[in-house]
Amino acid sequence: MAQQIADRRDIDFVMFEQFAVDQLSQHEQFAEFNKKTIEMIVKEARNLALKEILPTNKIGDEKGVSLENGQVRVPEEFHRAYKLYCEGEWVGTTENPDYGGQGMPKSVGMGASDYLLGANTALNLYVGLTVGAGHLIEEFGTEQQKNMFLNKLYTGEWAGTMLLTEPQAGSDLGAITTEAKPNGDGTYSLSGQKIFITGGDQDMTENIVHPVLARIEGAPAGTSGISLFLVPKYWVNEDGSLGEFNDIVCSGVEEKMGIHGSSTCTMSLGDKGQCKGLLLGQENKGMRQMFLMMNQARLLVGMQGLALATASYMNAVNYARERVQGRHLMNLADKSAPAVPIIQHPDMRRMLLNMKVYVDGMRSLIYYANLCQDLRDVAESEEEKEKYQNIIEVLIPICKAYCTDKAVDVCNLGIQVYGGFGYTSEYPQEQLLRDCRITPIYEGTNGIQAMDLLGRKLGMKQGKAIMDLMGEVQSTITQAKEVSRVADSAEKVEKATNKLGEVSMNIGAKAASEEVMKAFANAYPFMEVSGDVTMAWMLLWRARVAAQKLESAKKKDVPFYEGQIKTMEYFVNSVLPITLGKMDLINNLDATAVEMEEDHFGGK
Amino acid sequence: MNILVCVKRVPDPAENEIEISSDGSDIEREDLVYSVNEWDNYAVEEAIQIREQHGGSVTVVSVGEEESEEVLRREMAMGADQGILVSDDAFEGSDGRGIATILKAVAESGDYDLILTGAQSDEGAAQIGGMLAAMLDQPYASLVNEIQVQGGTKLQVGREIEGGNQEVSEIELPCVLSIQSGINEPRYVGIRGIRKVSGVEIPEKEASDLGLSEDQVGQKAARVKRVDYFHPEMGEGAEILEGSTEEVAEKLVELLKSKGGMK
Repeated sequence: MAQQIADRRDIDFVMFEQFAVDQLSQHEQFAEFNKKTIEMIVKEARNLALKEILPTNKIGDEKGVSLENGQVRVPEEFHRAYKLYCEGEWVGTTENPDYGGQGMPKSVGMGASDYLLGANTALNLYVGLTVGAGHLIEEFGTEQQKNMFLNKLYTGEWAGTMLLTEPQAGSDLGAITTEAKPNGDGTYSLSGQKIFITGGDQDMTENIVHPVLARIEGAPAGTSGISLFLVPKYWVNEDGSLGEFNDIVCSGVEEKMGIHGSSTCTMSLGDKGQCKGLLLGQENKGMRQMFLMMNQARLLVGMQGLALATASYMNAVNYARERVQGRHLMNLADKSAPAVPIIQHPDMRRMLLNMKVYVDGMRSLIYYANLCQDLRDVAESEEEKEKYQNIIEVLIPICKAYCTDKAVDVCNLGIQVYGGFGYTSEYPQEQLLRDCRITPIYEGTNGIQAMDLLGRKLGMKQGKAIMDLMGEVQSTITQAKEVSRVADSAEKVEKATNKLGEVSMNIGAKAASEEVMKAFANAYPFMEVSGDVTMAWMLLWRARVAAQKLESAKKKDVPFYEGQIKTMEYFVNSVLPITLGKMDLINNLDATAVEMEEDHFGGK
Repeated sequence: MNILVCVKRVPDPAENEIEISSDGSDIEREDLVYSVNEWDNYAVEEAIQIREQHGGSVTVVSVGEEESEEVLRREMAMGADQGILVSDDAFEGSDGRGIATILKAVAESGDYDLILTGAQSDEGAAQIGGMLAAMLDQPYASLVNEIQVQGGTKLQVGREIEGGNQEVSEIELPCVLSIQSGINEPRYVGIRGIRKVSGVEIPEKEASDLGLSEDQVGQKAARVKRVDYFHPEMGEGAEILEGSTEEVAEKLVELLKSKGGMK
């Protein structure tokens, strides 16, 4: 039966057969989340997503948001959908139950997110940021602040955002000028302007809590003088009741390419001198604290990429099975031969397979990154905790940058499979691409992610972080070598992994030398090859599990498992050789990009 | 009011392409996705709403294989208070009367003021509610699309009648009602509800627990036996329109006009 948004069988496979997330229930923290419970959670998320959320997606795209007298209005259909989100506790799914969350393992949360994000990414952004703002308060807030805000956020009664970017401070947040003056009563008066604020205003919740980066008067320049403040739309009294409007106003919403249902706001703070905030955490530590939210947000953006890509792929594969056009290539000469479904044409298969390898690989990777957080949280030794944290740190820029770039490619192919119909708004494919196109940009552009991987993660803890990750990759390869059906492929993945190790050493050394400019001109290709090897790792892992399961598989499961092996083989045989070539290029450290004079770019 | 709702685990029509098994005796069941029968879901929602307004409890019962436990758990996550799984190899091959006999035994083992069933299930027989009521010697109303509780002894029920008409009746408690879809808007199941039932053990009853003997249920007792199961052959006279949606719509309009179905 044709499926929408995501392949149910694949989600089950990743959760239970590849990663055994139900085993987490052996730990007290996750005891409730046995297999039956997880299955029910994913099934009900899917039910809600398909019946209620998905129908709002096109509406949100067409209606967009409006700004009337300083109040942003979302499409009215979003109100019901958001209400159902909250009623079903789908906001704080994995958050702390002490503060209104549902305490699910993060890896289990992914099964629900796959459907909920894929159904309407624009709507889900309001939810994702709300949870992220809650995390900041949970981590850095005082008990009083937690009591005032957390339950309201994790249940979705109030929404949250994050206010970082300013007109002159985008990728370089050190240039922030929003100012905070102490009022002497523990509160601060804020003034300044923020732009590109996702969910900065909307009319679905009675209050919005904005974590805001600002400088306390007289703070040092750059990132070390930035502090974090909680600035609610309506002031929150200590007993939790709502006070006056807090002089934080949406002064404009962006017209943009996609995610039309998500408001992207310009926020003016303290135009009337009445905007108050509470310091969250320590003075001048705002940037470091904000990274907690940004890291979560980066994983979420990777998940958005996956969700949009999987939706596009499901549509495309269904369409290719149904759309009849052109004779089979083997019957081309026979003019009386019937037209066949386009899935029978070789180039169509190539496109579908190119979508499938990344959708499958990304699903495994993103679920794995979240599983590592669960494993870190239940780890019994500090050593183990550190290992999983290290893996997460290295995987974050890959999950964000690689997955979103590939998601755009997948959504692009998703249009191509439909041909001319894919370009029309009668079909969902073009919206998915437009909605996806923001993902390589926000939460740190993919160029910034590549710099993070090369500049920070590669040398993190004297290389221990990357070695911890390599250890896990090697363990998958070793297991796969024992399974004859995938052993040859495992050798190829091993070769690519070892070569990536050499490339990392080379480029890492150059990045710390006077050739730093050259190294960073190759940071992006380095991120790409790291992502390719990560995909190969995940696909090999899947194929190894599938090959073993095939031995005693039920008839209905055979095509699924065979599909896993074929998908991995396609990647190893048709993509990985290109990766090896790219690695040679990186080793050569081509310097043209940095040696070009500005004039050489022409156009003058 | 203590309410018993009978629910069934059925192949989900929105999730499956139904194929006839190779021996032609049944549908191919191996690769199917199952859910709670849609009508039963409305019945459970109605029961929960009655409990919310008037107190009491909601018990869901299912006769079936062990997997039926998942639909009981799901309906409990939705808000039912208890579940009873009734499962025994001896029930295999029961006809409608056999199932009603089992449910009668369940009903008599508890103290229920009201029993609800879905109007029908996957097999479309729509027989259990009526049979169960007769066996229990209780009043019965079918295709109920509205329920109002009137004191502790009576209900006022609305029924859907041919031609879009509505009938309203009073019915004495205890009684059996079969519930039509659309009576309410069944709530979605949330995580809190799912967590609440994650560790709950659902009691399982066998024939002997219910005092049922083998000759009352199962294949032996069945007086209705399926003898064949097939897709009817395509007859003559049907015209299949082909082309894009627009082309098909255009042709259809032309046809309707030419045959006098449309002006």
